[in-house]
Order: sequence, then C-alpha cells, then structure tokens
Amino acid sequence: MIVMLDLVLRLALWLLLPPLLPGLINKVKAWVAGRRGPPVLQLYHDLARLWQKDVVLSNLASPGFVIAPAVAWVALVGAAMLLPLGPTGAAFGFRGDVLLLVYLLALARFATAWAALETGSAFGGMGAAREVSYAVLTEAALVAAVLSLSVQSGSITLATLLAPAAGAGAVLLAGGLFAVLLAENCRVPFDDPNTHLELTMIHEVMVLDHSGPPLAVILHGASLKLLLFSVLLTEAVLPLGRLPPFVAAAALAGGVLSVILGVGLVESLLARFAFRRVPLLLTTAFLLCLFSLLVAWNGGAA
Amino acid sequence: MTVTPLLCIAAGGLLTGLLAGRGSGGVWLAATLAGVSAALAAAVSVLAGGGDWEWRSGFPLGGESLHLRLDGISAFFLVLLCLIGVAGAVYGRGYWEEAMHPRSARAGRIWWSVLLLSLGGVLLASNGLHFLVAWELFTLSAYFLVTLDRHRTEVRAAGWLYLGASHAAVLALFAFFVQLSVRTGSWDLGPWPRRTELAPLFWLALFGFGLKAGLFPLHVWLPAAHANAPSHVSAMLSGVTLKMGIYGLVRFSGWMPVPLGTGWVVAGLGVASAVLGVAFALGQHDLKRLLAYHSVENIGIILIGLGFALVAIEQGGAAWGKLALAGGLLHVWNHGLFKALLFFAAGSVRHATGAREMSRLGGLWRGMPWTAGLFALGSAAICGLPPLNGFVSEWLVFLGLIDASLAHGSPAWAAFPAAILLGATGALALACFIKVCGVVFLGAPRSMAAAQAHECGPSMCGVMLLLGAACIAIGLAPVVFWPAVARAVGAWQPAWGGDGIPAPLVALGRAHLALAVLAVLAGWGLWRKSRGQHWVHARTWDCGYAAPTARMQYTAGSFAGILTEWFSWILRPERHGTGPANPFPAHSSHSIHTPETVLEKIVEPAGRLILRASIVVRRLQHGRVQSYILYVLVGLTVLAGWILTEGRS
Repeated sequence: MIVMLDLVLRLALWLLLPPLLPGLINKVKAWVAGRRGPPVLQLYHDLARLWQKDVVLSNLASPGFVIAPAVAWVALVGAAMLLPLGPTGAAFGFRGDVLLLVYLLALARFATAWAALETGSAFGGMGAAREVSYAVLTEAALVAAVLSLSVQSGSITLATLLAPAAGAGAVLLAGGLFAVLLAENCRVPFDDPNTHLELTMIHEVMVLDHSGPPLAVILHGASLKLLLFSVLLTEAVLPLGRLPPFVAAAALAGGVLSVILGVGLVESLLARFAFRRVPLLLTTAFLLCLFSLLVAWNGGAA
Repeated sequence: MTVTPLLCIAAGGLLTGLLAGRGSGGVWLAATLAGVSAALAAAVSVLAGGGDWEWRSGFPLGGESLHLRLDGISAFFLVLLCLIGVAGAVYGRGYWEEAMHPRSARAGRIWWSVLLLSLGGVLLASNGLHFLVAWELFTLSAYFLVTLDRHRTEVRAAGWLYLGASHAAVLALFAFFVQLSVRTGSWDLGPWPRRTELAPLFWLALFGFGLKAGLFPLHVWLPAAHANAPSHVSAMLSGVTLKMGIYGLVRFSGWMPVPLGTGWVVAGLGVASAVLGVAFALGQHDLKRLLAYHSVENIGIILIGLGFALVAIEQGGAAWGKLALAGGLLHVWNHGLFKALLFFAAGSVRHATGAREMSRLGGLWRGMPWTAGLFALGSAAICGLPPLNGFVSEWLVFLGLIDASLAHGSPAWAAFPAAILLGATGALALACFIKVCGVVFLGAPRSMAAAQAHECGPSMCGVMLLLGAACIAIGLAPVVFWPAVARAVGAWQPAWGGDGIPAPLVALGRAHLALAVLAVLAGWGLWRKSRGQHWVHARTWDCGYAAPTARMQYTAGSFAGILTEWFSWILRPERHGTGPANPFPAHSSHSIHTPETVLEKIVEPAGRLILRASIVVRRLQHGRVQSYILYVLVGLTVLAGWILTEGRS
C-alpha cells in the first residue's frame, strides 16, 4: 500500500511539476530584460490547449509519427522514475540502473529523431542530424560523469551513487553536467528555444511538423527532461543523502531552482554559439567530467 | 545420453538435404529443418544442465580417430548456428527463387547444406586436423555462396578478396594447429591448463580467428563480401560465420594459457573495432555495406567483453570478469539475431526495389510496412536501446567495466576509456541507424522503384517476425536465457561457473517489461486520442515552402555530414564534382565517396610492392639454358665454399 502510494506520489510529482520550469526560466529572462514576461503557468495552458486541438498530419507521415512521441515520453518518464528524490530515495533501484537511465535518454532521442524524419522535410533531417551528432559528445560526457560518481561513491546504483557529495571534483562535475544539461535540453548557447529561424535550431526544428496532442506530449517530455537533468545535477553535486530529510528536500528544491536561475541567466547574457563552436564547447564539457573522474580516482586511491 | 541420437538425426537430416538439394527444394527444406531442429535440441539439452557430450570413433578418419565434443561453449554457438541456419534456409527460398535463378538456386541449396555441416563440424571437432578440414570446407562453401550471382564483376571481385583473406587466416591457423600438435604431441584438442609454453601460440590464433571475425585492421574483406552476397547469405556470414572467429578465440583462450597482457590487446582491438567500425558505417551510402561495417562494431563489443575477462584472469577479478564475458557471449547471440533480421530486411528492400543505394530509396514504409517496422525494431536493438536484447548484453559489459574500475587496480585505466568509448559507440550507432531508417523507410520516395515497392512474401516476413520476437524475448526475459550464458562462462573458466541468476538482471528484466507495457499503452493511447480529434492531412509544412520535392530531403551523406567530418582523419572521404560558378550557374554536382581506407591505403600498396618485387625476381627465369647452367655453377660454388669453411671451423 505504502509502496503504491509512494509510486503514485512520485509519478504525480514528475508529471505535474515539469511544465513549471520553462515558465520560471522565461520569468528570469523577462526580469533580466526588464519586461513583465509571460505567466509562469503558461506551459500548462499551452499543453491543455494543444491536447484539445486538431492534428494536422503530413501526407508522408506513417503512424510512427504519432506513436514515436509517446515512446519518447515513456522513456523519459521511466528515466525520471529511476532517479532518487532527495531524502525519499528511489522508487526502484538495482545495480547498474544508472546505465538504464543513460540508455533511456538515448531511446527518447531515437524516437524523437524518428518522428522528425517522418515528414521528409529538409528541416526535420537537419535538426535530427544535429541532435544525434551532438549527442555523441554529450553521451561520452554523461558516461564520464557516471564513472566519476561511481568511483567517488564506490557504487553503481543511482540511490547510493548520488547520495554523497561529488567531493573535490564537484566544481568540475557541476560545470560539465551543466553544459550537458544545456545541450541535451537545447538551451542557449547550443540552441535557442525562442528563435523561429529554423536553419539555426535543433530541437524546435525537429518538432516543426507536429501539432495537437502529439505536440503536447513532446513539449511535456521536453520539460520533464529539463527537470530530470536539474535534479540529476543537484543530487550529483550536493550530499543530499547525508542531510536530515527536510533539509535535503529543501536543498533539492533550492538546487533545482538555482539551476533554473542559471539557465535563465545564461540565456539572457549569452548569445547562441555558431554551430562550428558547439563541438568545442561539448568537448570542454566532456573534459570537465573526465577531469572530475581523475580527481575522484585520485581521492579514492589516496 | 540423448545427445548422441539427436546429433545422429541432425547429421542424417543435413546429409539428406545435401543429397536432395539437386532435386526439389521442398524435400531439401524439410530435411534441413529436421536436421537443424535435432541439433538445436542437442545443444539446448547440453546448455540446460546436461553434462558435456564427448565421442571418439574406433576408426581413423584421415589418419586420426574422430573426436567430437559438445560442451557449454560449442553448444552456445551451435544454438545460434541452428537458428540463423534455418531462418536463412527458409528466407532464401523466397528471396533466391527457383524461377528467377534456376541454376544458382540449386547450387545455393547444396552449398548451404555444406556450410551448415562444416560449421557444425568446426563447433564439434576436438581434433586439430579435423578442425582444420571443417574450417577449410566452411571457408570454401561460404565462398561459393557469396559468389552465387557470379556473372556480376563486383561479386567476383568480392568473392576473390574473401577467398584470399580467408586463406591468410587458414595459413595462420594451420601454423597454429601444427605447432600445437608438435608441442602437445598429439592432434587431440582439449584443455591444457598450466602448459605455459603453449601461450605464445595464441598470437597466431588471434590473427587467424581475428581475421575471420573481422577485427578492425583485419576487416578488409568483410564489407565487400557481405554487401555483394545474396541477403540470406549475408545474414549467415554476419550472424554466424564471423562468430566462428569469436568461437575460436573463446575456445582457445579458455583451453590454453595466454601470454601476459593478451587481455589488454584484445580489449584494445575491441574498442578500436567498435569505434572505427561505426565511423566507417556512417560514411557508407550502400545499405548492406553499412550493415557490414556495423558487424565490425559489434564484434568489437564482443571482444571488449572477452578482453576484460582475460584481464580479470590475469589480475584476479572473477566478479567483474564474469560479467564482462557473459555480456560478450550474450552479445554473440544478440548480434546474430538482430543482424540477421537487418540483413533480411535489407534483402527485402533489394528484392522490392532492386536498389541498395540509399539515395534511391525513401518512403518505403507505405509499400512494405512489415519490413519497415521490423527494420526499426532491429535498429533499436543494435543501438542497444532498452527494452531490447542489445541493451542487456551491452549493460552486462558495462557492469563488468565499471566494476573493474571500482576494484581500484590497474584494469581501471583500461576500463575508463573502454566504458566512455562504448557509450560514444552507442550514440554513434544510434546516429547511423536513425539515418538509415529515415532515408530508406521514411519521407518521400526518391525513385520510381521506391514508390512502387511491394511487401515481401509471407515466408520472408515470417522469418523476420520470428527473429524480431527473439530480440524482444531476450530483452524482456533475460533471466530465461541467463543459464545458457552462465553455462558457457562456466565452460570457459570452471571456477566462474555455478552462480545463480544475478539479482540486478532480474530487476532489469522487470524494468524492461514495465517499460514495454507502458510504451505500448502510451503509443496506443496517443494514437486513439489523436484519431479522436479532427484529423487533417496536408502537405509537409517545410516552413511554408509550397512545392517540396523528394530531392529536397536530407540524404544519407548530409545526415551523417557532421559526424563523418569528425572522423575524416581516418575515413578520408573523396569529394567529386563542380561547384556553381558565374552569376548564372549552369550545371553543378557534388558527390562524396568514402573509400575502404585500410584496403586501399595499406593492403593494396603493400600488395603492389610485393608484385613489383616478384616481377624483378621473375627476370631470373627467362628460358636461356646457358644462364641456367651458370646458376647451377654459381650455386655449386657457393655450396662448396660453405661446406669448406664449415669444415675448417
């Protein structure tokens, strides 16, 4: 009974909270720019509206065009359910579940890129090609980060892996994971979620031809992914498992909010990079994670 | 013992098939099916806990008495051989139809039977001489299968390259077995623990078996042979015969001591094969050639597992070595299953459109929905995506690698780069297969042939469905297949056997099941919801452009452009064409071709050098008797001088 309740509460949290984050980021950006900005709950309205809307389908699209977003969304929800939530731990954990999380993100990428290629639009191909190419570097960085955390904590189960602090390499790891977060969630400086110039986009250009309920699912999945990465980054850096429950919960919430604040500030103060420079920045992120791995290794051996 | 009668039935069935192959295809198929099912039953009974099976003949065959052995390792590979062997036989009947190819269909049946028999012989033989004979037979029968369509020049060239490369491997294996028999005093094979003087021979085996398995610098024969063979043969080559190289490596690294540091070399070769195999695959425009390069990648993943198991033996890390080896071995099955599925699907595409060039395909899902869906399933499996089988084996290898690094010894320095590069390989494979799926099956057809494509026949589709179901089954219920893997691991290193099912694997199976159910439910739910709304069909929006054409779609080359640029240091793509010039450009073209770098830049120049040297040497032989007498005189003088100086000292 308790287990079921725990599961339902977790699921509710992961499903209801994420659309708040893009609203918060937009508020931060508006605040920096001195504007009022859209309401914080804007994405909830958008999702509700899209869910009721008609579906416009390309003549070329197969049923996969509608099913793939659902598969991507399930993969992201599954990945989120694997993550421990601060003091409450994980709903479900086993040795090596962290690898399942990494590969579930890959499954979501596969499904999204598949849907992008359905319509035969040149823009879909462009966005999908960029997404899967840059993912090679982010995946390498993510695996290096996982190795660093597992060497630090001596475990490969998410719940114990994320419990202690990242140790001496925390700053490096935080920097690397923050860059991975920006790249995976298609934020500035890798991508600009506001632009409507399709030639320069990654994620937005992949979902150009979607509409109605499938688009709602895609947007919800994207915000879920943002929350997932914020929680992952916070738990990787802060020793949430070592704090008393309420402090840990507050620290988790504070951490996620500061990550969101960081994303908003980066977006306000930086311009999007030229595509030639994106791999350089991602390589830097990978190297940061690699150095944190070496620091963790050195600390563990000493 | 039930194994003996089963294997007798298997041999009988396959021999009947061999004899019936000239006549009707139906009898051949029935006999092959019966024989293969019996062999499968024998292998399963050994894997399911029966003891090893061993048999010696009273009579000699070729001077040696026949010695057959079916233990955990050979039974493990035999299961794969049976599955793909029968799948290819059924598929081939629809693909290489009697009506279309009356002569070569008959030859194809006979050589298929020879191939199955000789591969079975390789797996069962426990005598070096018979192993070599079976190996040579399998090499030759595979050659004749590759060149079934031998009126095409490129098929003959590919077959020739395959034959030459395979015989380089046979040469190394010949040296290996002869040395082995000299040092052990008999042709009989079996475990030789603690005979450290045998260890250096492993390098010969690594060359011979590695060439057959398609390890990175030795893979030169592989892409051409796999691309030009008929698709059911490609599936067999990639799914099973490459694994014979792996079988040899696993078999002999288990039976004899290996030199110090072998594990590091094998793991390093595995990592190189994995990363570079997928990099070359990204540069290909030919569907089957691309799949062939992915075999190099997957062989790499298998060898990472084997390499770390060898490191574990050297460093005493049983816990993680076991996981790495189990992952590598399970990947042998998995790769066999999904690669055969992908080659079959590629064959159906070829059958329907006559094209292998991806730039002439597109939008095939409409004409061939089953093939498209099954190709997507195989793609997701080969990319190692949960909840399919590829992820289970890659996950086991990953667990082995991370546990090796947690052990805080020197293996960590190999495990870190291996794990990171394995992750990157997964992402590269995903990029490559999204490219294939998108360009071949989605979007708008790029040619008339693609627009008019039709679904393949029920037997071809049925075989693909069965292979797809096997991929799903291993993904959702890895626990069911674990005992077989554990049995093979125990046969490789007896000290590592006998454990129960690892708890994380049970949990992973449950997670996969939950994921699969949820994905199906969500997909169905979203489909229902979308269908429930008003449903408007329209032209692809394409940012408001009113007349998009099929040629405006992203092509395979442009899709992989970013990644092939990163790997241009080894791919060395060749660009041809003329760019637009003048204010009113008239004609411009652009094409990119990725050469076979290792073959064209290393092997061929080396071959040319040898040819040039032999031309110089050939001048000595010109037919003038006077000069020959001079040679004899010079030879005698030198000999006499040598004997005289030897005698004095």
